[in-house]
Amino acid sequence: MFDLGKKSGSDKVQDDSTRQQDRPEIRNEAAPTPRRPAGAREAAVIGPSIHIDGDLRGEEDLLIEGEVNGTVELKHNILTIGPQGKVRADVYARAVYVEGYVEGDLYGAERVGIRKSAQVRGNITSPSVSLEDGAKFKGSIEMDPKAVESALGSGRGGLESQKSAQPQQAAAKPATNVSPKPVEPAAKSGAAS
Amino acid sequence: MEGASPRATRTAEPAGRRAAPSAAGQPLNAPLFSTLIERLDESRRWVVFDLGRARTETIALLGRVRCRLQVVDLVDDAERLNALAADPRELQAAVEALLPRRGEPADAVLCWDLLNYLQRPALTAVMEAIAARGRPGMLAHALIYYAAPRMPMRPALFVPLPDRRLVDLAPPVAERAAPRYSPEDLGRCMPRYRVERARLLRNGMQEYLLQL
Repeated sequence: MFDLGKKSGSDKVQDDSTRQQDRPEIRNEAAPTPRRPAGAREAAVIGPSIHIDGDLRGEEDLLIEGEVNGTVELKHNILTIGPQGKVRADVYARAVYVEGYVEGDLYGAERVGIRKSAQVRGNITSPSVSLEDGAKFKGSIEMDPKAVESALGSGRGGLESQKSAQPQQAAAKPATNVSPKPVEPAAKSGAAS
Repeated sequence: MEGASPRATRTAEPAGRRAAPSAAGQPLNAPLFSTLIERLDESRRWVVFDLGRARTETIALLGRVRCRLQVVDLVDDAERLNALAADPRELQAAVEALLPRRGEPADAVLCWDLLNYLQRPALTAVMEAIAARGRPGMLAHALIYYAAPRMPMRPALFVPLPDRRLVDLAPPVAERAAPRYSPEDLGRCMPRYRVERARLLRNGMQEYLLQL
């Protein structure tokens, strides 16, 4: 287990009151990583030559430019997977920004941003998801607010229960028995539109 | 929805390359796509498979309802699947490896124009595997080159506009002959699906709403 150092709450970039709790927000372009207040600590960096196998947990922002296999948990902080970063892990963070390669599920309590240089294979669960054109993504995007809320839970309990009871899909809530609306007459051939 | 406007300008077609019907960069009325989106009732949860590339516009459109979008993206895999036609087992294994594990069943599938790029064995394998992951009554939307004899070498990059028209943002490419699957062809290749509605579009493509 790798534990990053604690940091003060003043580094928190976005107040909890601003968290979107309604429908997931979809943005055309990933929001820029918030700028840190003057004098605040820079994000910790896992450099390109570093390779970590195991669980990585901490309470400060983190930039991964190296390789991480396992799990990454920064529940109050921002994780950025840089252009050189390779992460094969399920990731839990307040906000996740991907510019590099990820194979694993991404849980962002506030936001997940997939930038154009990113390659992601996995499922995304977050109330706010952005995907830049050019990004390569295969997986699911959970856009059901109830399922997102259920999957993310609140606080550490939510993350822990989500990890222990994680279904094969990102959606934690099973689907209701949905059937399409009544069908219209079969095999109509209409005029050219 | 953001960023969904069609490109204002497009590169002129090289001499001898007639613009393919879907590559005109002009918004395309697709009534059955609109019908499908209308059916996504906001009070319920939906699972939608997208066989094309992940696009912000699609995410934004589906983000209006309670939805899980499964981006399958088979665009780069069509040729490889076609090459496996002689070995059905290998083909099936390849398809299974490309699709998500069976879990929450799909309610709708966006095929866009991908089916045109799958030869019959691959078309059957893909749509059977999708059917195995679908809920009874699952709807599939597809655009098939039918009246149009030629199609671009690569699948289009359709994105939905806020008014539910579709626009192809793919750059112009050379063309090749379209398979021009007829409803009978599709019935043979996809026996578990029935044509709920079909409509000939202005560009010569046949728009289908299929039901499992």
